[in-house]
Order: sequence, then structure tokens, then C-alpha cells
Amino acid sequence: MSRPGPAHIGHFDSDTIRRGAYACLPLLPSTIIFGAVLGVLAAQRGLSLGELLFMSLTVFAGSAQFVSVDLWRETVPAATIIIATAVINMRYILIGASLRPVFRGRPLWVKVCSMHMVADENWAVTMTQENLANPGFLLGGGIFLGVVWATGNTAGYLLGGGIPDPEVYALDFAFTAVFAALTIGMWKGKVDFLPWIAAAIGSIIGHYTLPGTWSILAGAGAGVAIAALTWRPDMDDSGLDGEFAVEGKNAYGAPEGTIIPEAQK
Amino acid sequence: MIAFPDLTTFSLEAVLTILGMAAVTYGMRLGGLLMADRLPQHGRWAHVLERLPGAVLISVWVPSALSAGAIGIAGAAATVITMALARNLFAAMAVGMVFVGVGRYFIGN
Repeated sequence: MSRPGPAHIGHFDSDTIRRGAYACLPLLPSTIIFGAVLGVLAAQRGLSLGELLFMSLTVFAGSAQFVSVDLWRETVPAATIIIATAVINMRYILIGASLRPVFRGRPLWVKVCSMHMVADENWAVTMTQENLANPGFLLGGGIFLGVVWATGNTAGYLLGGGIPDPEVYALDFAFTAVFAALTIGMWKGKVDFLPWIAAAIGSIIGHYTLPGTWSILAGAGAGVAIAALTWRPDMDDSGLDGEFAVEGKNAYGAPEGTIIPEAQK
Repeated sequence: MIAFPDLTTFSLEAVLTILGMAAVTYGMRLGGLLMADRLPQHGRWAHVLERLPGAVLISVWVPSALSAGAIGIAGAAATVITMALARNLFAAMAVGMVFVGVGRYFIGN
């Protein structure tokens, strides 16, 4: 019996890890330059290169790192930095939640190992894949971005300047562009229309009225609220879950830690 | 820089601060996923969860396009249109970035 389905992809196939890494290739120039800018800033703020790389590989969240390194002083304001990091990275609760279909039916250890290397970029690229149930793809993108990010950090730290200004080549716009483009790939049909409009309006209002990255939460919250209000029972099994309908309802009701082999059904 | 870059100093307070940052960040990443696993697989909340990635993504880039000014808004529109027509990430990014780069060169922000 060979029924195609997400359960047949291994947890971390080397082939899917490689494809995940290639999929993040368009982000290489901007990630390396921003990594270098952070390296220059860290050198000025008195972090050692070792500390910076330790941060890049354990925290792995660009915008929070920029704010933290900027707040860094000789006596480290630890509480301020950790609170700022928590606020800026709060969107990862939502990003983590939205990754549920990627980890459908996977054991807990796969989730524990994969969730560290989740940045906005590899998350967005992964969520637009046709077959979502593929944690290796997500991890591959994360490893690639981590290596590029750390390489940029090192280059910036050692060169200590002479880094091209990202704005000149519109490299700062690369992240905006990639997220805008990937939004098109997330369109699942007209049920998305009102939640997306609400998210756009919410984030615009948040942008003008709230500090920092709260606009992300304002927009996502507005989108979620409208999605909840516009739901009707007949909408079930539309969109994303429909892709797995062939697996039978049991496939996505799979208990933690089991990938249902077809023989058991 | 005059002194050779400081490569290997690890101060205790720096390491603890970084570990604190890492713990809250990883906790939210994994916590979000594990919370979503507890939500129903069908019905209203499953529907909401499916709309979530698009809503988050839009809320990430719309404000940053606004921050980049009129040229940023136009560049984002150009990117979205190119992606809708060509369905090619490289092409869409290139159009948006060239648009913004050229726009800044000739017009300024």
C-alpha cells in the first residue's frame, strides 16, 4: 500500500533540509549585511565576538538582537533587555501556533528540536509550501539563515565598519519585499479576504498609535478576531486542512507522538 | 578600531542575560506550537488558526512598508503585483527592491 500523505516524509530528511535551505537563498544578501551591521554595533557596545555569536545562535531573532545590543552597556541592564526581547518576540507565540500543520502527527522531540531555529523568514517560506507537513524544510531554512547571520556578525565585528549602508541598495526593503510576496502564496481563498483586510488595518492603526513591534500583535489580533467572527460551520475542511482530507479525519486527530501508519487503519 | 577585537571574553552577566533572552524567545516559539496543538482540529478555532499565518505576515510587512515612506508603499505594491502575476519569489523581490533602490536614488525618501 502506498498512499501519498504527509506522514510518509521523515522527520528530518536530508533532502528536505537542503530544499529548505535553498528556499531561503533569496534572503542571503540582506541577512548577511544586517548581520554585519549588528556585528559593528556589538563591537561598539562592548560585547565580545564570542558573546555576540552565542547570542545569535541561542536567541536567533534579528530585531530583538538589534534592540538588545543597542541597550547593552558596561553594566548590562539584564532585566530591561530580557523584557524588551520578550515584547519584541511575542509574535513567535502566534508564529509557533500557526506551525501546527507543519508538525501534525510528529512526536514532541521533533517539535522541541525544530522550534529553536524558527525565524520570520524561514517560517514564511515554509508556510507557502504546497505540502506543509515537513519540519525538515523549516529546519533547513533555519540552519541556513543561522549560518549566514553568524557569518555576517563575524564579518561586521572584525571589519568594524566599511559595511555598505543597507538603505543604498534597498537591502532593508528585502525583508518587506519577501514577506509581501509570500503573502500571495498564503492565499487560501476568499475566506482570507476579511481577516487579511482586518490585519492590514489593525497593523496600520498599531503602527501609528503603538510603540515598537506592537503593531504586529495589533494586526494579527484584528485578523484573528475577524476570522473568528466570520466563521460559519460550512467552512470546515476548506483551505489548508482540505489537502489532508484523503488521510481521513483520523490523520489530523492523531494523538501526540504517533504518525498513523496505514496498516493500522 | 585600535585594539585587536575582543573575541573570547565571556562575562557572567552577559552570558546570563543572553540565556534569559534565549529562554523567553524559545519558550514563546515552542509554547505557541504546543498551545495550538491543544486547540480543536475542526470548527471555529481551526479556521482561525488557518488564517493566522497570513494575518501575522501582513502585520509584519505593512508597517515596515509604511516606515519606508511613499516609496516603500509603492515598492510593496509592486512586489505584491509581480508575485501575483509571475508567482516567482526572486522576481517579486527583485522588482520591489529595484523599485525602492531606484526611487531613493532619484527621488529620495
